[in-house]
Amino acid sequence: MTEVQELVGLVPWTFLAQIANLFIQVYLIKRFLFKPINKILEERRAKADAVLQDADKVREEAKELKAEYEQNMLEAKNKAGEILLTAQKTAEAQSEKLLKEAEQEAAAMRSRAEKDIAQEKRKAVGEIKNEIGGMAMEIAGKVIEREINQEDHAKLIDEFISNVGEAS
Amino acid sequence: MELDVSGAKVFFTIHTDLPILGDLQISETLVVSWLVMLIITGLCIWLTRDLKVEKISRRQAVAEMLVETAENFVIGNAGEKFRKLVPFVAALFATSLVSNLVSLVGLWSPTADLSTEAAWAVVVFVMITAQKIRSGGLGGYLKGFTTPIAVMTPFNILSELATPISMACRHFGNILSGVVINGLIYGALGLASAKLLGLLPGFLGNVLSQIPVLQVGLPAVLSVYFDWFTGFMQAFIFCMLTVMYIANAAEE
Repeated sequence: MTEVQELVGLVPWTFLAQIANLFIQVYLIKRFLFKPINKILEERRAKADAVLQDADKVREEAKELKAEYEQNMLEAKNKAGEILLTAQKTAEAQSEKLLKEAEQEAAAMRSRAEKDIAQEKRKAVGEIKNEIGGMAMEIAGKVIEREINQEDHAKLIDEFISNVGEAS
Repeated sequence: MELDVSGAKVFFTIHTDLPILGDLQISETLVVSWLVMLIITGLCIWLTRDLKVEKISRRQAVAEMLVETAENFVIGNAGEKFRKLVPFVAALFATSLVSNLVSLVGLWSPTADLSTEAAWAVVVFVMITAQKIRSGGLGGYLKGFTTPIAVMTPFNILSELATPISMACRHFGNILSGVVINGLIYGALGLASAKLLGLLPGFLGNVLSQIPVLQVGLPAVLSVYFDWFTGFMQAFIFCMLTVMYIANAAEE
């Protein structure tokens, strides 16, 4: 029959061996389970962190871009407003100038025309006077040349009047 | 019929004859313990083969889950500063659990030997005491025995010593009781089937009564409690107590 140990009892050698076994097991489990797994978990964490950091960076960049874009837009809008204003002012000034010039020109033309008319009138009046004088001389000559009858007399007067009317 | 529930078998003895220690007996307890260590270490190596950061295998997921569970268990109960304790508690739990369950394949449970649990409990006790001295100083540790009044000192010392003893005996008792009850049930069922089938007349009864048919079935059901449940619970309780005692020692 094989030798057996007591069912309930402390065997010093077993006791010591089991303490040693426990510590060996702690080392083994640390070496073969915790170390590799923790390493891989750490790597994964680092990777996730890197991804998050990248995302943050990209977001930051996008934010900057957006701010820049908005700034640019604002500037462009301001500039456009300015340009519009300037153009409006220029146009106004120009149109005013044009209007004034046109007015002046019109006024000058009118005065010139008036002057011309007046001169023309004077000239016409002078011509008429001359003609009347000539006519009178002619009439007088004709009167002298031959006897004027009643009929001729009236005709002459009519002629004279119609001539004057045409000349004036 | 005689039922014999005995301790660990001794395979061979090395005569050292040292005082107190006596002869070194290579018992079933030691041999199965080494086997258990091999199983656990082999499992660890198998689980952590070709680890990857991404697209992990199911095996790696299990390994990571085990590590995270151990960390959550220790850190959740004792706090972040006991991270160093995680491998110890994990080793304690794994050894205890596999030692308890190894009886399912008919081997001797190393945990059915009081020496095993005593060894673990003494290690835990030393750790508790070291933690107490570290957090309160040697003076504070010794002074702790006189609280609330000096008269209580002997009782305090007694309760202090009761910690490892109760831990060891709780675990040992539960496993041993499983061993004993399993032995009793097997014996009883063997007897019952021999008697029942022996009632059959003539040659048939003689042959069939030699086959313990009743041993099939019922022990498996009972083993769900005595081996699986108790084995798991005792491993868990031992580790829980270890963590709680050490965490408490740090608070004082």
